[in-house]
Amino acid sequence: MIQTAQDMKTYRDRIHQALENKFLRKALDNFASSYKVSRAKAFEGIDLEALRHQLADGKDQALTHLESLFQQFKAKAEAAGAVVHLAATAEEANEIIARIASDNGVHAIIKSKSMTAEEIHLNDHLEAEGFKVTETDLGEWIIQLRHEGPSHMVMPAIHLSRHQVGGLFSDVTGKPVDLEDIDRMVKVARKELRPVFLAADMGVSGANFAIAETGTLGLITNEGNARLTTTLPRVHVALVGLEKLAPDLETALRILKILPKNATGQALTSYVTWITGAVECAASPTGRKNLHIVFLDNGRLELARDPVFSEALRCIRCGACSNVCPVYGKVGGHALGHVYIGAIGLILTYFYHGKDNARAIVHNCLNCQACKSVCPVNIDLPYLIKKVYENILKDEGARPAKNVLLSLVMKNRKLFHTMLRMASSLQKPMVKKDAAVLRHLPFVFGKTQEFRTLPAFAEKPFREQWPSLRPHIPNPSYRVALFGGCVVDFVSPEQAVSLVKLLTAHHVQMEYPMEQSCCGLPAMMMAETETAVEVAVQNLQALDSQAYDYILVLCASCGSHLKEGYSRLLASKPELAEKLRRMQSRLMDFSSFMVNVLKVTPDAFVQSHTEVAYHSPCHLCRGLGVTREPRELLGTAGLNYIPCADEDVCCGFGGSYSLEFPEISAEILRQKLDHVDATGAQVLVTDCPGCVLQLRGGMNKRGSSVQVRHIAEVVAANLKSL
Amino acid sequence: MSNNNLALVMKERAKRVQAVTVTVHHMNDVLRYTIDLTLQENGTTIAAPGLDVVNLQKLEDLCHASGLQLLHPPFRSHSSGIHMALTGADRAIAETGTLVLDSSSEDIRIATMLSETHIAWIPASRIMPDASALSAYMQEKMASPPGYMAFITGPSRTADIERVLAIGVHGPQRLHILIMEDSPS
Ligand code: SF4
Ligand code: SF4
Repeated sequence: MIQTAQDMKTYRDRIHQALENKFLRKALDNFASSYKVSRAKAFEGIDLEALRHQLADGKDQALTHLESLFQQFKAKAEAAGAVVHLAATAEEANEIIARIASDNGVHAIIKSKSMTAEEIHLNDHLEAEGFKVTETDLGEWIIQLRHEGPSHMVMPAIHLSRHQVGGLFSDVTGKPVDLEDIDRMVKVARKELRPVFLAADMGVSGANFAIAETGTLGLITNEGNARLTTTLPRVHVALVGLEKLAPDLETALRILKILPKNATGQALTSYVTWITGAVECAASPTGRKNLHIVFLDNGRLELARDPVFSEALRCIRCGACSNVCPVYGKVGGHALGHVYIGAIGLILTYFYHGKDNARAIVHNCLNCQACKSVCPVNIDLPYLIKKVYENILKDEGARPAKNVLLSLVMKNRKLFHTMLRMASSLQKPMVKKDAAVLRHLPFVFGKTQEFRTLPAFAEKPFREQWPSLRPHIPNPSYRVALFGGCVVDFVSPEQAVSLVKLLTAHHVQMEYPMEQSCCGLPAMMMAETETAVEVAVQNLQALDSQAYDYILVLCASCGSHLKEGYSRLLASKPELAEKLRRMQSRLMDFSSFMVNVLKVTPDAFVQSHTEVAYHSPCHLCRGLGVTREPRELLGTAGLNYIPCADEDVCCGFGGSYSLEFPEISAEILRQKLDHVDATGAQVLVTDCPGCVLQLRGGMNKRGSSVQVRHIAEVVAANLKSL
Repeated sequence: MSNNNLALVMKERAKRVQAVTVTVHHMNDVLRYTIDLTLQENGTTIAAPGLDVVNLQKLEDLCHASGLQLLHPPFRSHSSGIHMALTGADRAIAETGTLVLDSSSEDIRIATMLSETHIAWIPASRIMPDASALSAYMQEKMASPPGYMAFITGPSRTADIERVLAIGVHGPQRLHILIMEDSPS
């Protein structure tokens, strides 16, 4: 039923189709903006960070002893009249459940929503065995009738319009349905499904948690169908992933406190159901419910032991990582997942549904960190997505040519920089005069890249300008080193030149360590970990001097990679730990240095009151957690900052992502630029040279008069001359 | 927080989730309210699992006088015809406007799940500030299985079609909470 693209060509076609669906995009757009508001409201007055940590730690703890939690649960639940099973694989779970049904003379089965049942394709199996299976969650019923998989883990039918649902319902009931009236449609489901509930012999549910201490199942729901599913039929089968085992009530209450708020912005769902053992049931010959609890392993126990991936098992299926994902917002869940959807789907697909289903979709991540920032159990989703990609490359044995080439070149700084210079001279005939953009794109990029202009390489990289630029400040207040990064050095050296001007005016001695190379993030993005480690070590050497009070970055992506990425890459090199710590403790983004260290004041700047909009780069606001300083700096530097919608949503660049998925990148960019246009500001400021490329290229292509500038440039431009 | 304040919070939070809340002072108020609401909704049947014999008799008499039918257990045999469910609640959680019902009895489950409207009364003294204040109670319940505990927060709802909130999918379409406070004597 679910057919996920297994190669990039098919996948790009799918994406193209998804992007043509205007309803989908509008629905997901509205959802993305309203979700953020309701989530924020739901967590008002709650120490979310503390709660997240507690929950994540608790989960990690439990993951170390799932087997013993299972044994404890089994003993308790069986003492209370349940039968507890453990299925090693999806097939085994399907067989166990089908056997329970046939042993008990079951004909009709009702189901409440369970992602775990979707995972093992339970319906297909039960139907093939001759059972009649009806989904009773409204969204699940709708997609069952349409023979589709869910497009969201919490709202499975979010891709459909009321008109589509109304049409479907009138087909099913044979009666006309008002295509506008959602309330009526809901009542149609109530009416149609009620007799199905009453006639069913067996109910299948999932569970949100399974408390080992007491053998209790917990279900967190809204519609009331799970209550009916677990009450009316004489047989109840609960299918539960092993990772849902929670040691005690306290853990369960924590999940309850965070899950509904993070999923839908509700303080609590309409129903929370706690089932301990086989309760009375008049429909059963014994007078008690025939309760079977089937725990599913399907790779979980192995995953729980994996030093890198085990944290994926913390997931409580809140769906938030889809809600905030800019890619999800453009293409929807059918194009961003297999059974499991969104960021966590890109990871779990590999483990539960194999590399063939994961191969193409795993590329579709911008590394914007939005998912990670809302995950209630702090899963480092973008990192694990890259790790899955790495695993797939390993499994398949052959690395793509671009990977081999990138690694080869990047490991050797001199070669790398020579090649960048060569690229610069090769493109000369293609550069538009006076515009520093490419007149026409080299054929390798193809038509799909035409949504933005691409910048030309600088005539003279910053590193070549440096010897003549280097200021000599007597008795400087600080000595700082700039970590430039490839884009600043070879494409946008004017940003570093602005920095020189500002620092000189504030009596700061700047240095540009020549041995620095690419930060290595592009290698990470292509899952070339070994190369990423090598350049990390090179940079660490280059930056390791006692002479620097601070190491500044103009590129948020380099900055967050030097911080978070390096810690992880170099974790296995204890001999570098001290160097790493020294570097990281001095690392700072441009705005934070200006505001928090130099404490610049308005009297140093011409108060031009130029209106500027601001784009908050993913790796600054989420990667480095810097949000206040750039906005404050704009004000201090005499600019009039005009807030803009979705400032912290990715611009769609994502480095090589925009080459891989130009159509999605273009769509994300379009929306960003529309928001900026709505502010009326004539200057768009951001603090990452990558974002500048993307945003400027897009504005250029629109023929817009809005100037896109790095924050260092606009601040330097307003500096009063001495 | 005093019981009074908790009752206020409870009311405010329950309203946010489309529950109706009313203050009552006596069981008679509860019975009267049940009859009136059933009549008002043009319902004809009432199920009142767990009601003590004295009040059950009173309700039977009131039903009789109003032309309504008080259903007798087991309610499974009335599963398609329960308009009103009247139950007590064992606890409530003010923070979220939630009712806590020990639903281990099948009659309580069937009545509160299949009815069109659910009325639940709760003494103000049983309102807890938040879910964590309930842990000892839950612990005790879970330690004596089998059991089926229900947290109920507003009527049944969905947002599965275009994320538009619609009330009353598979569970009761309306939830009325009667908070019983001491008479202001
Ligand atoms: S990092 Fe961004 S693009 Fe990637 S999955 Fe997370 S939210 Fe989506
Ligand atoms: S990965 Fe995190 S955000 Fe995504 S569904 Fe799981 S818990 Fe929610």
